[in-house]
Amino acid sequence: MSLLKVAQLSKSFGAVRAVDSVSFEVHPGEIYGLLGPNGAGKTTSISMISGLLEPDAGEVFVAGASFWSNPQKAKSIMGVVPQELAIYEELSGRENLEFWGRMAGLSPSDAKARATELLEALMLADRAKDAVKNYSGGMKRRINLGCALLHRPKLLLLDEPTVGIDPQARLNILEFIRNLRATGTGILYTTHYLEEAESLCQRIGIIDHGRVLAEGTFAELQERLGGDRVFVLEADFKNSSPDAWNGFNQRFRVIQKTEKQLVVAAIGTRDPSDCLKELLNLPVHVENVTLKRPSLNDVFLQLTGRELRE
Amino acid sequence: MLLALLAKDLRRTWRNPLPWLINLIVPLVMTALIGLVFGGNSGGGLGKIRFAVVNENNSRLSQFFRHAATSMTGENSSGIQLDPIFTNRVEAMRLINADQISAVLIIPTNFLHDYLLDSQPVSLQLIKNPAESVHPAVLEEGLGVIVTAMNALARNFQSEFPAWQSVIDGNGDGDYHQIAALVDRAGDKLKAAKNYIDPPLVIYTKETPEDETNQVVSTGGTAKSNSNNNIFAYLLIGLSAMFLLFLASNAMNDLYRELRQRTFERYQTLRDSLVPFLASKAMFTVVMLLLCGALMLGGGGLIFRIHWEHPLALMTLTLGYACFAAAFYAVLVALMPDERRSAVLSSLAGLGLGLVGGCAFPPQQLPAFLREHITRHLPSYWFADTMRDLQYGGTDVAWSLTLLKLVATSAVLLVLAAMLFRRKFKAGLRA
Repeated sequence: MSLLKVAQLSKSFGAVRAVDSVSFEVHPGEIYGLLGPNGAGKTTSISMISGLLEPDAGEVFVAGASFWSNPQKAKSIMGVVPQELAIYEELSGRENLEFWGRMAGLSPSDAKARATELLEALMLADRAKDAVKNYSGGMKRRINLGCALLHRPKLLLLDEPTVGIDPQARLNILEFIRNLRATGTGILYTTHYLEEAESLCQRIGIIDHGRVLAEGTFAELQERLGGDRVFVLEADFKNSSPDAWNGFNQRFRVIQKTEKQLVVAAIGTRDPSDCLKELLNLPVHVENVTLKRPSLNDVFLQLTGRELRE
Repeated sequence: MLLALLAKDLRRTWRNPLPWLINLIVPLVMTALIGLVFGGNSGGGLGKIRFAVVNENNSRLSQFFRHAATSMTGENSSGIQLDPIFTNRVEAMRLINADQISAVLIIPTNFLHDYLLDSQPVSLQLIKNPAESVHPAVLEEGLGVIVTAMNALARNFQSEFPAWQSVIDGNGDGDYHQIAALVDRAGDKLKAAKNYIDPPLVIYTKETPEDETNQVVSTGGTAKSNSNNNIFAYLLIGLSAMFLLFLASNAMNDLYRELRQRTFERYQTLRDSLVPFLASKAMFTVVMLLLCGALMLGGGGLIFRIHWEHPLALMTLTLGYACFAAAFYAVLVALMPDERRSAVLSSLAGLGLGLVGGCAFPPQQLPAFLREHITRHLPSYWFADTMRDLQYGGTDVAWSLTLLKLVATSAVLLVLAAMLFRRKFKAGLRA
C-alpha cells in the first residue's frame, strides 16, 4: 500500500490553472521526486497534500485513508518541510525543535529527548543553544528540516529543501535524507535541481505548467528518448530541416533543434558507431558530434521543448 | 499545547524586548506627563493652589476673612488645597512674574464699604498667571461662586447692610443688642427662604445604570457620595481603555510575523484546529496587556494618589477587556491579511472604538445617536463605564455581568477569527 496517493489533484487561482490533474504515489522507503521549473505547481501540490490548500478537484490519500476524512490523523503521519525557513529566529535551535515537537503532540520530555537526537543527527549539537538568527544558511535549512521530524513521520514532504545553500551544506542535507529513506520513511521531494533528482530519487515525476508530463525511474525516463545515449550535433542548421533528410525521422528522434545545435536519440537498438556514421553523412557540414547519456534535462527538453534551467 | 505556544511567545519577547519595553514605558510616561501637567504630584486632586491676596480694603471684616482663609489652607472636600499668601500688590506682582503663584486676588480699597452701602458698583480683581492653565481657572471659578453668593446676599439683605456697616465701624464697641437683632432678622429671612434653597432646585447627580435618564433629582440623602472624588481616576480609566486597545493591536500584529515567517502555516501542517494557536496569541496579548494595565492604573494611581475602590473587580474587568481587545484584533488581522493596509485601519478601528465607546470623553457628551444606538453596545463602553461606576458609584455595580459579556464576546470573536483564517488559508492566503 502506498503511503501517499494523489489522484487527479487540481487547483486554480482565478484564470491560472496552477495544478492540473496531478496524480502520483509515494511508497514506504521511497524518495519520489517532483521535478519542475519555478512556477510549475510543485509547492501548490505540496500545499494541497498537506492540507494547507483546498483542492478544486481530486483526492489525497495518506496511508490508505482520505486526507479530508481525518485531517488530524493524516497530519500526524506526515512531516512537512516548507521551502521558506518556517522557524523562529529569536529562539535557539533546540528551542525550535522542542517547540515544534510539542506542536506535533510530543510530551515535554519526549520533545526534549528527540530534539537532542536530531541535533546530533543534523550535526548541530554544538550550536544547539545559539539563537537561530546567528546560524549560517545551511544550518538554518537543517533546523528547518529537523522541525518536521520530531514526531518521526512515516511520510515526509520536502519542498525544495536545499534552495539557496552552499554545495557542502546541500550534500549534508541530501545525505541526511538518504538516511531517512533507509529507515523506511516515504519522501516526496520537490526540486528544480536536475542533479538532486537524478542522484536522490527512485522515481521522478516531471511537472510543468501544473501537469505531470512524465513519470518513472530515471532509466525509464531515459528510455523515453530511445535508449541510454543521445547525440549532440553542432553545425549550421539555419537553412536545413531534418524532415527533408531522407529516412532521418525513421532512424532518429529529434529532441531539440536550434540554429547551431541538433540533439537526437537513435530509434531502436543500434550500435553507436553506426549511428555516428549515419549522422556524419547528413547533408550538412557537421563541425562536432558528442555522444552522451541522456539527462533529465534532455527528457524535460523533449517533453516541453525548452530546458529546465531556462 | 497552549502553554508551549505561550512560552514560545514569551521567550521571543524576552529575547527581543525593546518593542515591548517601549510599549510598557509609553503609558507610564503619558501618565506621568498628565500628572505633571495637572500638578498631580502634590495631592490626590488638583494639588495645592498657591495664590496671593492683596487686601487694600483693610477693614475689620476683611481681616476676619483673612484669618478665616489662613485657617482653611488644608485640603477641602473637593480635593482642592488652597494656599493663599496675603501680601501687598508689589510683592504679589513679583511672585506672579516669578511664576511662584497661580493668581493674584485684589480686594480694592473701600470694597466692603461700597458693597454694604451700595454707594457705587464694586469689583474684585483677579490676575491670572498666563504660564498656568488649570489652577488659575479653578480660582476664577471659585471667585465666580463667591461673587454669585455676594450678589444673592446683596439682593436679599440690602436693607440690613447699613446696620451691619455701623456695627463693623463700631471699632469693637458694638451694640450687642443691635447685633443680636440683626442676626435675628437674618434668621427670619433665611427661614422664609428655606423652602426655596433647601433642597436646592437643581443639583447634578451622576447617572447610574438603573437611572440613566438625565432627570433632575433632589438629594434626599441618596446621592452616591464618594470620599475619593478624584477626576483623574475618571480620566485614567478612559485613557487606559484606549491605550490597551492600541497595545493589543501591537501585540496581535505578531500574527503578521507568524504569517510572514510561515510559522503559522507550519503549525497548520501539524494541527488541524487554528483555535489553540490564536488562543495562545490572545493569551500572550492578555499577559502583556495586564502588565501594561497594572503599570498604567497602578502607576497612575500612585501619581494621582487615586485610591481604587474595588481593586479586585478592577483587575478582573481589565482581564476581560484585555481578552476582548486581543480577540478583536485577531479578527482584524484575519480580515485584513495585508499588513501594510491593516496598520492604518486597525489604528482607526481602535481609535473609533475608544472615542465612540466614551473612553476619551464622557459618554454623555457624545451625540445622541451614538450614545443611544452605538456606544452602549461597544465593549470599550462596557469596560470604561463599569470601571467608572465602580470607582464612583459604590458597591451595587453589576461588574460581573460586564465581565461575562466581555469574555463571551472575546470567545465569539476568537472563533470567528479562526474561521476567517481557515477560509483564507484554504483559498491560498500568503503573507
